[in-house]
Amino acid sequence: MAVWESSAADISPPAVAHAPSWATTVDHKQIGILYIVTSLVFLAVGGLEALVIRAQLWKPDSHLVGPEVFNQMFTMHGTTMIFFVVMPMLFGFGNYLVPLMIGARDMAFPRLNAFSYWMFAFGGAVTYLSFLAGGAPDVGWFAYAPLTEYAFSRGTSTDYWILGILISGIGTLATAVNLVTTILTMRAPGMSLGKVPLFVWMMMFDGILLIFALPPVTAAIIMLLLDRSLGAHFFDTQAGGSAILWQHLFWFFGHPEVYVMALPAFGIISEVVPVFSRKVIFGYESVAAATVAIGVLSMGVWAHHMFTVGMSDALDAIFSGASFLIAVPTGIKMFNWIATIYGGKLVLASPMLFALGFLAMFLIGGLTGIMLAAVPIDWQVSDTYFVVGHFHYVLFGGSLFAIMAAFYYWFPKATGRMMDERLARWQFWLMLAGFNLTFFPMHIAGLLGMPRRIYTYSADRGWTIWNQLSTVGAAMLAVCFAVFFWNLFDSVRRGAPAGDDPWDAWTLEWATTSPPAPYNFEQIPLVRSRRPLWDLKHPEDPDWEHES
Amino acid sequence: MNSQGQHNAHGDEVGESIVMPVPTAAPLVLSLGATLLAAGIVTNLVLSALGAVVLLWGVAVWVLQLLPGRGEHEHALVAMEMRPQPIAKAIIAVAPRPTSFIRRMQVPAQIHPYSSSVWGGIVGGIAMSGVALAYGVVSGRGIWYPVNLLAAMLMPAFATADNAELERFDGTALALGLVIHGMVSAGAGLIYGMLLPTLPRWPALWGGIVAPLLWTGGVYSFMGVLNPVMNARVDWPWFVASQVVYGLTAGFVVVHSKTVSVGQTGRGSGNETGSPPR
Ligand code: HEM
Ligand SMILES: [Cu+2]
Repeated sequence: MAVWESSAADISPPAVAHAPSWATTVDHKQIGILYIVTSLVFLAVGGLEALVIRAQLWKPDSHLVGPEVFNQMFTMHGTTMIFFVVMPMLFGFGNYLVPLMIGARDMAFPRLNAFSYWMFAFGGAVTYLSFLAGGAPDVGWFAYAPLTEYAFSRGTSTDYWILGILISGIGTLATAVNLVTTILTMRAPGMSLGKVPLFVWMMMFDGILLIFALPPVTAAIIMLLLDRSLGAHFFDTQAGGSAILWQHLFWFFGHPEVYVMALPAFGIISEVVPVFSRKVIFGYESVAAATVAIGVLSMGVWAHHMFTVGMSDALDAIFSGASFLIAVPTGIKMFNWIATIYGGKLVLASPMLFALGFLAMFLIGGLTGIMLAAVPIDWQVSDTYFVVGHFHYVLFGGSLFAIMAAFYYWFPKATGRMMDERLARWQFWLMLAGFNLTFFPMHIAGLLGMPRRIYTYSADRGWTIWNQLSTVGAAMLAVCFAVFFWNLFDSVRRGAPAGDDPWDAWTLEWATTSPPAPYNFEQIPLVRSRRPLWDLKHPEDPDWEHES
Repeated sequence: MNSQGQHNAHGDEVGESIVMPVPTAAPLVLSLGATLLAAGIVTNLVLSALGAVVLLWGVAVWVLQLLPGRGEHEHALVAMEMRPQPIAKAIIAVAPRPTSFIRRMQVPAQIHPYSSSVWGGIVGGIAMSGVALAYGVVSGRGIWYPVNLLAAMLMPAFATADNAELERFDGTALALGLVIHGMVSAGAGLIYGMLLPTLPRWPALWGGIVAPLLWTGGVYSFMGVLNPVMNARVDWPWFVASQVVYGLTAGFVVVHSKTVSVGQTGRGSGNETGSPPR
C-alpha cells in the first residue's frame, strides 16, 4: 500500500471530530456522508428487489411472487436505483468533494444543502411508505400515462410514487443550484475555471443540466397529480388528454437524467485515471469541452425513447441523428482516458481497477446505445431485454463501477482509514464476472424476443437458459455487494491509518487532514495550476511552468 | 477571524478561529413540514394542515438564523496535532517513482491541429460535392438533383416528390443541403484529425479507403430511416466514389498539416523520443 511519508499515520483521527449531531448539521462533509450512507441503504433495498425479479424469472411458469408483486418489484427497483441510489450517491460525493477540491470552507448555501438532503431522505421514505399503505407503485419508473390515470391505477400507490419523486426532486433542484453557485463563486484564489479539477467541472455541468431538465418533469408530475386527485385531464386520453405529452415531458427529463448520472461518473474517472497512471490527464480542455457538448446534445435526443410511438419519419430521423452525435464527445472522452493510461506507469490499486472496469463496461453500453439509436433496430428490440441489457451496461457499468472507484479512492479522506485492498480485489472480480453474467445474456434473450416487464414465460421460447445465467450472475453480484458492505463496515473501525494523502495525489482535498476539520482549510490555499499538490511536492518542476 | 500569530504547516500565519455557520434544525423541520403537507394528500388532510404548521415553523427558525449575529459562530481551530502535515516530496511505495517527464507526458505527443482537421473536412466536402454534381450531370438529372436528395433528409415535403420535382432548383433545399453537407464534412474531418495519429502507418489507406467504406456500410444500413427519399434513388457506386474522394482529400489535407505537440509546453515539448529532457 502506498504510504505517505511524513503523515500523521500514528494518530488515528476519529471518523468525525467531536460527535456531531447529524440532524442539525450544515457541514457539507457530514451532509455528503449522510447522502452516501442513506443511498447505500437504498442500494441494498433496490438490490433485494432485483434479486426478487431474478428469482421469479429463474424458471418458466414460475409463481414465486406472481404478477402483482413482480410489477411492484421492477417499478420500485428502477425508481430506487435511479432516484434514491445513483443520483444521491453521486451528489453525496459531489457534496463532500467539491468544496474541498476548490479550496472552499463549505457550499455556497450550507442550510439549503441540509434541506436538500432531508428532502431526498423524506422523498425516499414516502415512496416506501406505500408498502404499508396497501401496495407499492407498479407502473414502471417512467409511470407512463394513461396507465397511471385513476381509471387504470386505483388506490394510492401511484400517488405515493408521484409525491415521493416530487419531494426528492425539489431537494435535487436545490442541490443543483447550490453546486453551480458554489463552483462559480467560491473557488480558491488563482483557481480559474480552466484550473478546477475535472470532477468539479462535471459536477457543475451536472447542476446546469438538472436545472434545465427537472422543471418539465416536475410540472408533468404535478399535472398527473391533478389528473388523479382533482379530475384534470392532461394525460387522460378518454377525455381529450394526451398520453404522448407525458412521454415527451418525462423523457425530456429522462434522457438528460442518464447524463446526470453519467457526468459525475466521468468526473470520478477523470480524477482516478491520471493519479493511478501517474500522468497528467490527456487533453484537459477537450474533456471539459466534451462535457459541455454532451450536456447540450443530451437535451436534444429525448425522443429516441419514443421511436415506437409513431412520430413522423422526419422527427425520427432528427432524433436518431442527434443521438448518434452524442457518441462523438463521449468518444473523445474515452479517447482521452485511454491516452492518459497509454504510456503511463499504472498503479493497479482498487480505485484504478474499478476505473478500468468502468471503461470496458461503459464502452459496451455505449455501443449497444448506438445500435438502439438506429430507428430500424430500435423498432425491433424496443421493450425487449436487449434494452434492459443495454441500460444496465450504461447505468450499472457506468455509474456503479465509477462509484466503487470513488469509494476506494476517497474513503481514506473521509474516515482517515484505508479500505481493505484484498477484499477490494475480491469484490472487483466478483463484480466484473457477476455483472457480465447477469446482463450480457439479457441482450441475447432480448434478440430472441423476450419482452421486458413480463413476470414469467413459457418453456418453449428458448429463453430459459439465458434467464438462468442472468440469475446466477445476480447472485454473484449479491455476494459482491456483501463483500463491499463488510469492507466498508470493517474498515471504518479497523482500517489501516491513511494519513493525509495516501495515494500521492494532486488535487486540493489531499492537502488537508483525513478527515478534514469542519472548516476544511485553516488557510485558503493559493492555486497556480491544475495540480496544486504536484506544485507543492515538486518545487523544482512545478506544473504552472508548463500550463499556459 | 482573529489573528494570534499562529503558524500552520505551510508556515503561513493563521488565526485561532474561523467563522462558520452554526448547526440548525431548520432545514430538517422545513422539509418534514413539506413532506407531511404532501403526504396528507394521499392519507388525511389533517396531516396536510399539520404539515403546513410545521413548514411555517421551519421557515421561521430558518429566517431567525439569517438575522445578524445568529447564524454564525467562531469555530476554534482543531488541536495542533490534528492539523495537516507539511506537504512532503512524493514518495510512493507501490511503484518505482517514474521520472518527472513521464509523469507529465501526454501520449500521443504529436497531433494534427484541430483547425487543420476541420479544414480538411471542408476541402474534402468540396471535392465530394464535385463528384456528386458530376453524377447529376452524367445521369442527365441535372446538378440540383443530388442537392435536393440530400436536403430531403430534413424536408418532409420531398418525401412524396417525383423525379421531375427533385430535378428542379429549390432555394430552401440548397440552403439546407449546404448546411447539412458543411456540418457533416467539417465534423467528420475533426474526427479524422483526432483519430489519424493513433492509427498505425498508411494514413491514406485508413482515412481514404477503409473509413469511407465502413461508414458507407453504416449509412447503407440505416439510410432508409435517415433519408428515405435518398434511399429510394441513391446510386451506390457513385455514392461510394464520392465518399472515397472525400476521405482521400480530407485525409490528404490533415496528414499534410504540420503536427503540434499536446499541451506539453516548456521543457517537455517537442521531445519525440520520450526520454526525459534533462
Ligand atoms: C444488483 C444488480 C441489478 C440487477 C440484478 C438488476 C436487474 C434488473 C432486471 C431483471 C430488470 C428488468 C425488469 C423488467 O423489465 O422486467 C431491471 C430493471 C431496471 N433496472 Fe436493474 N438491476 C440491477 C441494478 C440496477 C442499477 C444499478 C440500476 C440503475 C442505476 C438499475 C436500473 C434499472 C431500471 C431503471 C430498470 C427499469 C425498471 C422499469 O422497467 O420500470 N438496475 N433490473
Ligand atoms: Cu435516452
